Amino acid sequence: MAKELKLLKGNQAIAEAAIRCGCDGYFGYPITPQSEVLEHLMAERPYLTTGMVVLQAESEAASINMVYGGAATGKKVMTSSSSPGISLMQEGLSYIAGAELPALCVNVVRGGPGLGTIQPSQSDYFQTTKGGGHGDYRLITLAPASVQEMYDFVKLGFDLAFKYRNPAIILSDGVIGQVMEKVEVDDYIPRRTNEEIAKECPWAAMGKPASRGHNIVTSLELEALKQEKINDRIQAKYRECEEKEARHEAIHCDDAEYIFVAYGSAARICQKAVELARAEGIKVGLIRPITLWPFPTKAIREIGGRMKKILSVEMSAGQMIEDIKLAVDCKVPVEHFGRYGGVIPTPIEVLEALKKLINK
Amino acid sequence: MAFKGALVIDTEKCKGCAVCITGCPNKCIALSKKVNAKGYNYLELVDENACVGCASCAVICPDGVIEVYRVKE
Repeated sequence: MAKELKLLKGNQAIAEAAIRCGCDGYFGYPITPQSEVLEHLMAERPYLTTGMVVLQAESEAASINMVYGGAATGKKVMTSSSSPGISLMQEGLSYIAGAELPALCVNVVRGGPGLGTIQPSQSDYFQTTKGGGHGDYRLITLAPASVQEMYDFVKLGFDLAFKYRNPAIILSDGVIGQVMEKVEVDDYIPRRTNEEIAKECPWAAMGKPASRGHNIVTSLELEALKQEKINDRIQAKYRECEEKEARHEAIHCDDAEYIFVAYGSAARICQKAVELARAEGIKVGLIRPITLWPFPTKAIREIGGRMKKILSVEMSAGQMIEDIKLAVDCKVPVEHFGRYGGVIPTPIEVLEALKKLINK
Repeated sequence: MAFKGALVIDTEKCKGCAVCITGCPNKCIALSKKVNAKGYNYLELVDENACVGCASCAVICPDGVIEVYRVKE
């Protein structure tokens, strides 16, 4: 049977997916260009249908701490913001990772640094994948390149967050958040009952029954040797996640001599640049990382290793390029092309940059 | 074979971002001097003879505010 189709903005798709995948609570704060996430949730009023809590907190810091609290009880909770707002949430994300809790965050990236602009960019790659907060933690990072993926990655993000007991983040940008595209939506999955939560999350703080000891949710452990053991456990989860969860898409790479590596809306622009280049006889392909952490190192090493040169295309001053260089062990020349501060490159600019790289 | 176009604009939803104006090939749309209930200068069709119903404005609008109608001439 065909799925229901809706015409939605990226931000609305996030909200729609949250309601339909049985999300228990959204705690957020408005900021351009992602306010429509909260606005769509408010317009749909899921608190009257599924019982999902939708709350506009007094700040981003309050939002992420409400998510921490909700997550501690095993609930499926999430928040969203944009670059400077995500900076305000870094402490909270570190705590959630340290307490080994599942939660979902969405960053619709805008130009920075500082208060920046409201136009799109991809300059939060370092913040997201190398840890904007303190401590040895990583965020499971999904990078959508379409409104459909904005929708799909909410359930996927929650599933991964619960599987690994770690926060997940959808790293979007102001283009994907704002454009309207067709989305195939799923039937509503009911929110879990308390019995289901207790079964799925035996660690959750749900009121202590006589049958077990206290579930204490905290990231504090003052005995260093115990804290090291906790970190060992968290690191083991990350190794497993790196082994199993890296995702990417490879376009026209089979006979390629050069590749673009790009994610999100930069990947959409590169897809057009691949078309234009191939029409001129340049054998170029595109690798689109779908998870930015774990980074698809294996795929880039395999495919990138065969290339003459690699062009990393990011709407930033060059952040993901470092991970590409590491993936190919610096054996293949990797250069950066990008526009930043909220400017979006055109496919023709990308093609020109590729030609410049080829002729270097 | 040319088309003649006409627009129906949801002026209360329009936020005056003007992305549509950069997309229009014939310069037939502009932001009004008037504002809607939210205080935004909304979009207006200022040269209806120039509109060919290409729908570039509608496609690029981030809020789906524009409906495009066209007839063959």
